[in-house]
Amino acid sequence: MTPRALATTAKGTTIMKRWTTLAMCAAMLLVSAPQSHAAAGPVIDWDPAYMWQPGGAFNNLPAGGIQRMVGTVSGFGAPLAFLNANIPAREYTFVADSMVSLGTVTFGPPSTQIYQTDYTGGVIRLYEDVSPDAVFAAFPPNPQVPSTFEDGGAPLLVGYFTRYTVTTNNFTAFQTGSIEGDINWVGGTLLPYFQTIGGAVCPGLFTGGATWNTAPNVGIPGYLFRHDGKIDLQCPTPTSTSTWGRLKQIYR
Amino acid sequence: MRKIVTTLFLLACAVAVAPAARAQSLLFDYVGFDYESPNPNPGTFGELGSGYVGLGTVPNLFGPLVTNVVANEYTYVMSGMTPTGIVPVGPFLIINYTPGTIEIYEDSRSLGTAADYGVSPPNAQAPSSFTDGTQVLVGSLTSFQFVVDTANGTGSFEAVFNVTGGSQLANFPLNQRAGWTFAGSSGNALNIPAGYAHQIDGQTFLDEPVTTHRTTWGRVKAGAR
Repeated sequence: MTPRALATTAKGTTIMKRWTTLAMCAAMLLVSAPQSHAAAGPVIDWDPAYMWQPGGAFNNLPAGGIQRMVGTVSGFGAPLAFLNANIPAREYTFVADSMVSLGTVTFGPPSTQIYQTDYTGGVIRLYEDVSPDAVFAAFPPNPQVPSTFEDGGAPLLVGYFTRYTVTTNNFTAFQTGSIEGDINWVGGTLLPYFQTIGGAVCPGLFTGGATWNTAPNVGIPGYLFRHDGKIDLQCPTPTSTSTWGRLKQIYR
Repeated sequence: MRKIVTTLFLLACAVAVAPAARAQSLLFDYVGFDYESPNPNPGTFGELGSGYVGLGTVPNLFGPLVTNVVANEYTYVMSGMTPTGIVPVGPFLIINYTPGTIEIYEDSRSLGTAADYGVSPPNAQAPSSFTDGTQVLVGSLTSFQFVVDTANGTGSFEAVFNVTGGSQLANFPLNQRAGWTFAGSSGNALNIPAGYAHQIDGQTFLDEPVTTHRTTWGRVKAGAR
């Protein structure tokens, strides 16, 4: 037995220390345990978005190349569930641009190659338009793209990508991969809905599958990827301050 | 002459079966989470002996499905697939699976049970709250392949899809039951319920039916003259 352990053998001291340790462990569990709430759905879901990058190919997105995207929102979830993406008189669209490629890294032998491209920068804006006109016209940029996706007035949301990664390959039968990123929301008329009680703004997680399949009604000439994805809010787990006294009360 | 006719016939066959430029139509879009059951090694995804299960909601459905998303909740369950081979590529795994199924259920929003993921599936809520109501569509999934970054769960899967059953099977003409599905996965989402592996967002396409028209041997011959 170590001297430290011997020091705690006096009965009263041991019980008090055990209480403290138990309470501390319980508090830590309360703070770190995932909340047992029902899983929240995506705050923004789209179908589809299309990306393009001049000079880029599914297996090579050269460093310095700039990727852009336009998309139409198909659904909203909390805290934007009051928006209805399915009424004909209104359309919700988004535009992202300025994602700068850091170059494609290739993994694997020639028969099973995976291509991963990280980007830096990038801004995404969400718009509401009461005169729906968005059209994924071929070979962007063009008179319809991105202009018909960014009309309607001031953006509802503005965010900067802090991570944006495109992952593709040369072996999937239907030419499928993923595009994922993180967003720091910084502006827009709906930004307050993304704020926590403390005032901090919840970041966004941009996820979904991507395909470079060129079959009619899937791919569109001039675009590199079709993306089926969504944005989730990455709000921190709520915590509240307390006192040791209150904590002990819980266990009495 | 026979050679020309034979050549034409073979050419027609080749055009009919070539998959490359076949038009597609979006059938449904799905969002959910996945887990493994059985799960012999909880610390690993896609291990041999595991079973892939995906479940979630289907917010957007299109013809030939006939639906009412205002009155009903649509849910999906993907199951039956088990890994047959795992190929590591850098930080990624390419996991190939045995065939499985995807089922879509229609459940009244006012009278039915709302879908609930719960935690540590399978549990009292999942998949049961995703399989109640009317089974409107059953599809087989073959060549199911998952590519996943082991560092963060980011990845994608795809499969060949064929409509095989459900209460709306008759809505699908015999020459319009084939298609494919794909989805993105992420392990980075903070809203993944405990016990689930990834967040999933995907969609399923139907191949447009192959168009045919009646003709006569005379016309075929005339075209070759």
